[in-house]
Amino acid sequence: MVDSHNPPAVGSGEATVAGEERVWRAGGLEPMPIRPLPDAPPSIHLLGPTVFLVALGVGMGESYMWPRLVLVFGPEIRWLFLIGVTLQAVVMLEMARYAMATGESIFSGAARVFKPLMWFFFVTAILVYIWPGHLSAGAAAFEEITGIPWVVTACVALVLVGILFSLASVIYNLLENVLAILIGTLVIGTAIIASIVGSWGDLGSTLGGMFAFGYMPSEMFTEAWFPVIVGSIAFAGPSGMQQMWYTLHLRDSGAGMGAHVPKIRGLRAAKDEEEMPARGFMFDTDNPQEMEKWRGWRKWVTFDAFLLFWGVTMLVTISFTVLAQSAARENPNVKELIEGGDRDAALAAMSDAFAAAGSPVLGSVFFGFIALIGLNATLGLFDSFSRGQADMTYFHVPGARRFRLSHLYAGFLWGVITFGILILLFGPADGPAGVLDILAFLSAFAMGAYCVTLLLVNNKMLPKPIRPKWWSNAIIGFGAVFYLGMLFYSLFRYGVVL
Amino acid sequence: MRLYRLAELTLPGLAVGFIAGVLAGGLAGFVGQPVGWALVTGLALGIPLALLGAGYTMLLVQNKVRLGGFAPAALYWLIAFPAARLLHEVLTSWILGGSPSLPPDPLGFLAYQGIVSAGFSIGFLWLHERVAPQYWQRISGRNPRAREVYLRYAEHARILFEAKERRKAMRDQVRAARRRGGRPETPARGADRPPARPGKATAVKKAASPTP
Repeated sequence: MVDSHNPPAVGSGEATVAGEERVWRAGGLEPMPIRPLPDAPPSIHLLGPTVFLVALGVGMGESYMWPRLVLVFGPEIRWLFLIGVTLQAVVMLEMARYAMATGESIFSGAARVFKPLMWFFFVTAILVYIWPGHLSAGAAAFEEITGIPWVVTACVALVLVGILFSLASVIYNLLENVLAILIGTLVIGTAIIASIVGSWGDLGSTLGGMFAFGYMPSEMFTEAWFPVIVGSIAFAGPSGMQQMWYTLHLRDSGAGMGAHVPKIRGLRAAKDEEEMPARGFMFDTDNPQEMEKWRGWRKWVTFDAFLLFWGVTMLVTISFTVLAQSAARENPNVKELIEGGDRDAALAAMSDAFAAAGSPVLGSVFFGFIALIGLNATLGLFDSFSRGQADMTYFHVPGARRFRLSHLYAGFLWGVITFGILILLFGPADGPAGVLDILAFLSAFAMGAYCVTLLLVNNKMLPKPIRPKWWSNAIIGFGAVFYLGMLFYSLFRYGVVL
Repeated sequence: MRLYRLAELTLPGLAVGFIAGVLAGGLAGFVGQPVGWALVTGLALGIPLALLGAGYTMLLVQNKVRLGGFAPAALYWLIAFPAARLLHEVLTSWILGGSPSLPPDPLGFLAYQGIVSAGFSIGFLWLHERVAPQYWQRISGRNPRAREVYLRYAEHARILFEAKERRKAMRDQVRAARRRGGRPETPARGADRPPARPGKATAVKKAASPTP
């Protein structure tokens, strides 16, 4: 693919040469040197960077929003969840395509297409994710168990997260291990609780409802429920910018060409960071052996997307839906509270229902798992936000490379922690009431925007042999129309964002 | 000593099963529920799951189930998980209620537990595969069986990878022959497959080599 005697036009996306080095030119940024693609690992692995996506993705959508919709509209509504999570699994595969082929994040891919596109994501991340509101559900559940005020728990958790990530030698390794244990505990624990409080009928209806394609009750299309349903579909699995951050975790795990890029280190070990290249790398797509290795990597990530990400997300949601159904059966008040939309009251009522049905222990265990979900999300979110902002700053802000990437990461991490503590103590945790709608809009808009970005990056910035197939493009295109269409329909038809 | 070494090997499954089971009891104690209540609920499920978890690890160590495979783990827990839950129900009703009693619809109960066991086995395997190889590597200095089973993991990964490579090479060969219009050579039966129980034949030989 790279021929020093036949350099194509600049910016065409074709291969060209700088001096004698073989390079791949993509967009207006620095060309990527050609390097060998490492061998793909055998497929028996059980865990990979998907653990981050599961940690971020399995949150309130799975444990509260979808169980709520099942109670309101019946289990048949779950076909929309199936569509949402399957779409996210394909998005995950396409995010991985660019990251594994180049060792660059999708943010850098966006910058290669059109730099303002990347700055849009930079600003959106700050606006949406700087508020510590996501801590509240987990910390409130912890308060129910221990009586410790949730603000205290949240502040202590923030400082502990900062210290943990600052002391780690390689942050990725530490976090993968911690999250793997936490998610394993979550999966095993929800299965046990579902086995104690659930029933054959609950499980059967939950599973059957996933295949009731086309079920759309008329109550769905009302001002009260349509935005909730759009939000629930958007938040099925990873939402907002979480899929984009996954490309950074893939790189740090050494997947594909990410093996040529050094890992981010904790503040304590920042001095050990190897020299960071100014751009990613490309492999020789004309070489059959390299293409064979590439297919190995694609299989590896497909295993991650469908067995781990899709499977675990489904499992946790099914468990929580079974729990909500059995709680509503035990106590009719639960159904009213859940339908009413007060999340904290509904979770407390579900906990009480389990305590009454099984034992006092079950109520506490339920809250324990809500707290665990909150802890997973907090660990994942703080790391991901700092990683994404540091990546964009290091590679695209002039003069930023006089710092190490690890230092920038630590700067953003402690910045968001300090801001979070100040807001928890003195301000509105979710953000100022006046801008809440704008933040919700931006979060969902980012999902439509990253589908468009993915189409542009993967089809214009990669060599032809490794570009997506037509059907993959069609699914991502459908994703863009789906997210943006539903968002704007909700906005213009009902005047409500999410 | 031999028994101790064997028991030491099964610690990962024992620990994962026990932690899963006593989670409820532990949390209850933490929030000030009656200690007796917490102990009974936790231990009545924790001990059976711990023993059954150790049983799974033992099967793995003895090379009776495939390393890292989901199907064998799911099959094992399809039987073991409902059994543990049934025991849990009987024991808690006995100790806390005064007389042992079965759940209202025992067959329906067992069928439901069997379905839920698929979820439990994903979580169990997830944690087990994360903990066990590292643990066996750590104790391999003092426990030769641990060293053997750890090397089998490494060997298993290599064999699967090479078998896959061979399959690809053969497919390419057949395709190339078809394109040329000739009759492809028939590969030997099973030439593309790894040994039925990977590592069984190689683990002993490999045990003499230094730990990777």
